[in-house]
Amino acid sequence: MLTCLRGGHVVDPVNGTDAIGDVFFEDGRIVARPQGRKPDAEFDASGHVVMAGAIDIHSHIAGGSVNTARLLLPEAHRAHKARPVETPLSTAGWSTFQTGRLYAQMGYTTVIEPAISPHHALHAHLELSDIPIIDKGFLTVLGNEDFVLSSLRDNESPNVIVDYIGATLEATRAIGVKCVNAGGVDAFKKNARAFSLDDVVPEYGLTSREIFQRLQRAVVQSGIRHPLHLHMNNLGLPGNVETALATIDASQGLPLHLAHVQFYAYGKEGKNGFSSAAAQFAEKINASPNVTVDVGQVMFADIVTISSDVMKQFNSLPGARPKKGVIFDGDGNGVGVVPYSYRVSDFFNAVQWAAGLELFLLTNDPMRVFFTTDHPNGAPFTTYPEVFALLMSADKRAQWLSRLPEDVVALTNLPSIKREYTIYEIATMTRAAPRKLYGFEDRGSLGAGSVADVAVYKNDERDRAGMFRNASYVFKDGELVVKDGAVTRYTRGKTLRVKPTYDSSINKRLDGYYDKLYGLPRGIFAVDDDALPAPEAFAEVPCRS
Amino acid sequence: MSNATLDGAPIALEDAYQHAARILACAKFPVVAGLGSDAAGVRAAILLAERLRGAYDHLACDDIFADLDVTRSFGMFVTTPNEARVRSDVVLLIGPGLTQHWPALFERLALDRPAYFNKDAPRKLIWLGPKRNEAKIEGIDIETLAATPQNLPFVLGALRARVGGRPINLDGATAKKVESCAQALKAARFGAVVWAAAALDGLTVEMLQGLVTELNATTRFTGTPIGARSGASGAVQVSGWMTGFPPRTGFGRGYPEHDPWRFDARRLVDSGEADAALWISAYDGEAPSWTREDLPLITLAPKGAGAKRGLYIEVGRPGETHDAVELAQETSSFVLRRATAPADTPSVADVIREIGARFSEDVPC
Repeated sequence: MLTCLRGGHVVDPVNGTDAIGDVFFEDGRIVARPQGRKPDAEFDASGHVVMAGAIDIHSHIAGGSVNTARLLLPEAHRAHKARPVETPLSTAGWSTFQTGRLYAQMGYTTVIEPAISPHHALHAHLELSDIPIIDKGFLTVLGNEDFVLSSLRDNESPNVIVDYIGATLEATRAIGVKCVNAGGVDAFKKNARAFSLDDVVPEYGLTSREIFQRLQRAVVQSGIRHPLHLHMNNLGLPGNVETALATIDASQGLPLHLAHVQFYAYGKEGKNGFSSAAAQFAEKINASPNVTVDVGQVMFADIVTISSDVMKQFNSLPGARPKKGVIFDGDGNGVGVVPYSYRVSDFFNAVQWAAGLELFLLTNDPMRVFFTTDHPNGAPFTTYPEVFALLMSADKRAQWLSRLPEDVVALTNLPSIKREYTIYEIATMTRAAPRKLYGFEDRGSLGAGSVADVAVYKNDERDRAGMFRNASYVFKDGELVVKDGAVTRYTRGKTLRVKPTYDSSINKRLDGYYDKLYGLPRGIFAVDDDALPAPEAFAEVPCRS
Repeated sequence: MSNATLDGAPIALEDAYQHAARILACAKFPVVAGLGSDAAGVRAAILLAERLRGAYDHLACDDIFADLDVTRSFGMFVTTPNEARVRSDVVLLIGPGLTQHWPALFERLALDRPAYFNKDAPRKLIWLGPKRNEAKIEGIDIETLAATPQNLPFVLGALRARVGGRPINLDGATAKKVESCAQALKAARFGAVVWAAAALDGLTVEMLQGLVTELNATTRFTGTPIGARSGASGAVQVSGWMTGFPPRTGFGRGYPEHDPWRFDARRLVDSGEADAALWISAYDGEAPSWTREDLPLITLAPKGAGAKRGLYIEVGRPGETHDAVELAQETSSFVLRRATAPADTPSVADVIREIGARFSEDVPC
């Protein structure tokens, strides 16, 4: 069936398009304007903006950690609306089903969960399978387990880590590699309470710097297009911009993605010893073309922090809002889940909010700066429309600033920044840039051959938040799934994975290692087709050849 | 092949599916209870409960909530059996019957050997309140702190007090023992508490997590919980991502509401609030604990557990007659269990699918 979206403002940065035009798709793919054929279905897109479906590069949407947060906070997600007939559990607060519905309604069609421990991969896939409509994938968390640390300590060939990454991604069916507080999570098991870039992991004699650098090289060598996705040391601490700057200096000119950098944009100035260092950080990002970042914007809301940085999460427990949390020392890596509430009246929270916006506004390349709230750590993904609106309007920011504590306003550059994001820049950071970051060839673009994931928004200059909250139409693989801001039916999306080539002789060694260490067959942790509700629903993201 | 009975008399499987669909579709507020199944069975059961606007409960919920209520009101330190095995230099076992709840406990945690990452020092084992003759592992000393199930919470409280440096009021010998155990816990590098929710109540679990929290002020300590029976831990996880809540959740208003009292299946049935029940116990055919006998009842249980009353449909045992995804105690993660004795007996998910396919809008009630 040939479908035409007629006369919309087509914004497609991958192809440099920013003009009124038509978009055609057929059999789930975008096609060039067909000659001599009348479309079978036509949608009037005049007065609307037409973009590829948005891609969220870092959002905690599934897996044991997110589920722990759900179970920890029954008070946080009561449902209040009966579900529509065709979409079971779509109003169940914070369920996988609701996650798919809410993302789709905002025109998001691909979302990457950033932190799955390898031994919990099956759990994550079971949850992803229950997220309707959108495509998804996850990053496997590596770098604090004994196999990696002892291999680095013993100065084995770098190929060992490359092969280990290949074997682990195959077993877990992941889309890339993340490392969290490199070495710090292991050090916490040995009772370290602070861990910085040049601190040494006890018993391994390795610094965090060495671990992340060698993982960074291994990821490059593996051919996976997504660079090492790094959660740096010292998250959330005053003065941690120094760690961030030093990490960029240590990045060897190789691709490196720094996650939720707002949480590292802090200086020590002012009477509270806490200030925004976003300007300094942004300058460094601008000058470092090998580095990409996502922001992790804070918004004023009740949230829960979900992080594999177990040390940081443990240290956050005394400040939990409400005061409870789960600290999980997992196999190699782990997770901490600690609820929190960002308050507009709180000095520290207000600085965080301002620092995030400063980073957005002072960095100059939307191809390297990604739109995230580190959902749900900085804010729920449902606040994205408000964040878009803030980026697109200096007036709106001024209104928000007027509600902030005065001493915060004095400590931020935000009032003086007049930059306003254009629709084109928004499309770049949520479509074109994620396409490049993950090496997608089939999405993030409206070019012929791309999957027909398309979002159509009513162009509303006065209410950008409303515009992005309720897409007029969303098509997933060419099927209409959202109309006038409401999901009309569920479809099953795909789970995206990579399959880097590696020397499979590592598998024998790993089998022996698991037997010796855990007394278990390694296969018990692998994700098998027979364990999956829909083993056919996977799609491969290519590696560099 | 499956077999089905109605009030003990055999009926054709097709008739059983039709009859089950009629019972459930005609009910005003059915409860899907037991929920003893693998991930696919639990998932199907919850979707069914939602479609029926009924409620769902797990047969081990009382045990589940001993841990979960502590998590959601206080918090929890936990680790995996793997980490406890390779890292824990001190293991504090709490309560009687641990090896009944987890027969592989000693072997899986390799308690008779030093931890892999702690090769030089033997593991120190302390057991608070074991059953008589239970605290015995070949070739290793276990220090026991005697306690009956009744006074265990008090001894545990004393232990926590001494870890925190607070005074206790116990007789000389017991106080001395508590003191030495407290010092051993504080001297741990990476200690682990092992307990079974089925053997403790919520306040005791909170006390032991309070102990762990205090130990973490100066060293590292964590917990290794032993999950409840009949796939309870997996059911909690599946329920968590599907509705946001653990079992004891109802859909009467068209959206999930969680209330451990309101949606307790035993209470719903005995009070008459529920007017039909689907009872699922695929692991061992455990019978429901409610007392009312006039309720329209469908039982899904394995061979040999046939219900004398109501409709019974035989299902296979997860991981035995069919492959099953379960939350494994030995890894605290979801794993695939290959069928050990494959048979074509339908699984819980299969049967629910068959019943669901026979709902029609014009069922004669």
